[in-house]
Amino acid sequence: MLPTSDPGTHLMLQRLSRRTLLRRGLGAGLSLPAAAALLAACGGDDSSSSGNVQGELVLLNYENWLGKGTPRAFAEAFPGASLKQIPLSSISGGSIVNVLKTANGRYDAALGDTSVVGQGEPAGIVEELDWSLIPNIEKIGQRFRDAYPLGVPTDYGKTGIGYRADLVDEEIAGWADVWSLAEKYSGKIVFSDLDRDSIGAALKYKGHSANTKSEEELEEAKQALIEIKPHLRALESYNIGANLVKGSAAIVMDWDYDVALAQAQNDNIRWVEPEEGLTAYLEGFFAIKGSERLELVHAFLNFFLEPEQYADFVNTTGTAYTMSEATPLVKPEISGNKALVVDPATLENVEFQNYLGDATAMYAKAWEEFKSA
Amino acid sequence: MKGGARALRPLLLLPTAAWVAAFFLVPLAMIVAYSFATISLITLDVSFGLSLANYRELFDPLYLSTLGRSVVLALGATAGCLVLALPLAFFISRQPPRWQRVLLVAVIVPFWSSFIVRIYAVARVIDDGGPLEDALRALSIGSGDLGLAQTRWAIGVGIVYSYLPLMVLPIYVALDRVDRSLLDAAADLGAPARRGFRRVTLPLALPGVLAGCVIVGIPALGEYVIPDVLGGGKTLMLGNVVADQFLKTGNLPFGSAVAVALLAVMAIVLIGQRLARQVVR
Repeated sequence: MLPTSDPGTHLMLQRLSRRTLLRRGLGAGLSLPAAAALLAACGGDDSSSSGNVQGELVLLNYENWLGKGTPRAFAEAFPGASLKQIPLSSISGGSIVNVLKTANGRYDAALGDTSVVGQGEPAGIVEELDWSLIPNIEKIGQRFRDAYPLGVPTDYGKTGIGYRADLVDEEIAGWADVWSLAEKYSGKIVFSDLDRDSIGAALKYKGHSANTKSEEELEEAKQALIEIKPHLRALESYNIGANLVKGSAAIVMDWDYDVALAQAQNDNIRWVEPEEGLTAYLEGFFAIKGSERLELVHAFLNFFLEPEQYADFVNTTGTAYTMSEATPLVKPEISGNKALVVDPATLENVEFQNYLGDATAMYAKAWEEFKSA
Repeated sequence: MKGGARALRPLLLLPTAAWVAAFFLVPLAMIVAYSFATISLITLDVSFGLSLANYRELFDPLYLSTLGRSVVLALGATAGCLVLALPLAFFISRQPPRWQRVLLVAVIVPFWSSFIVRIYAVARVIDDGGPLEDALRALSIGSGDLGLAQTRWAIGVGIVYSYLPLMVLPIYVALDRVDRSLLDAAADLGAPARRGFRRVTLPLALPGVLAGCVIVGIPALGEYVIPDVLGGGKTLMLGNVVADQFLKTGNLPFGSAVAVALLAVMAIVLIGQRLARQVVR
């Protein structure tokens, strides 16, 4: 469980205040001796809190999946510390866990979705965080923190429906509409090529949880997908919204941010939060077991959650975000888009994709059977 | 001195042998070892041993049908390449040397660009409203939305397009080596040109045809990029199963078993080719 308010947090806030004071002092032109004197006057040196906040933090991350200015700002805020990002093409699935299992301390932290962290915990790659060192976690909505308890939830992506109002005669309100209109718009529908998204949508359509471990419910969802498959133009795992822009698809299963991007190019594109409920992936940064720079990891995660840095992240990536406090700093085209803004009413309707444990293989098999059908 | 140089000659093989050992034999041995291992999909801990469980799972109807689909598509694509490559290679081999060089360069020009770029270019050509649809409509071969894109047909087109040069080149080499005097002799003995081609040229070119079929058929069998991009991700091929097991599920032992099964199919094809060559001789 994450702390909401504990003595450790207050202690850390005091330490941070002191560090902030030092930075501001240096920024205002104080000489080093003067700063040292100031620290001494505060009743002690700062080594306990910042002594180990130096060195190079190696972060396994999507390419450019951080605020443009964050690496430099981090290095400025923590002299002697720097950030090295190792890009990866996917942050999902067992392959990343396998990579981290054999990394032997090469990485300090990584981006991973709930499946990666969920699988990473029993696999022994996730280091538990000391939340007293990350007081800014309080700025993240409780719903996200509960769903991503082992790390810092950075972003999420709701899987909903996008459609072209000028190509589809009917109003679409949910997955039932997509299935019932499939024959009419045959060959003009694109679904996600990720098993959890498509199976999750089919489960919602059938009135089940997107995290079900019931074989019967999963079979129902698979049959629903097989039923609609002849009408699907394609299964795609990125740039799905581009099909709407081109007009090669009239209806798509897509992520909120991708539909938002498409909407910027065509006013006729609509975003629908299915009335049966939405599924969503949830990503975050987590610490890797065996890292020798854990204090640096904690400092970075807390720094990342400063509203300015977090807003830089959202503005750089255009993702749906998890920190309401950052809204005033987020570009209006993002914060003003219903698909991306933190909306409590929408969140009520969202089911995050949890790690499924043993049932993961069941989903993978169902997905292969659907593709093979 | 001469004896010393001869003794050192095997050293010339050392860099290549080391390269092959490090990047082919060792990974191959690892894949074989993994294929007999078991894994906990919770902790992803691998236990090495001699388990046949992964191979038993290959006999699941899902994977047998996927293997069948992959074989059919690979055979179809190989046949398509052969049908297009044979006349082209024959035509090139009958041109003056200077034109042969120009035409051969034209055959391999697509290889100058990235494979992915070429596949996306094909996707654009056969996309809805793309040049191919326009051309077919102009020829009154079809009307309306022809729906060529994101189909198994599109996968076949992509594989044929991508691998065609690999079929043309060995056939050309074989045809180019055919002794023209044999064709003259056949003509002198009264064989018309068509018969001369069938009874003289084609049998002599058969080793090149077989080599082309192997070079095209084997990679086509394990192809997974083209089905994903041109097939719209709706067609499961054995290559996709391997990729998914490695990249998504993290089930290295089962992914390895599928890869070894693919290798076994390829080995059977190679043995078949060798036997066929002996029959030809």
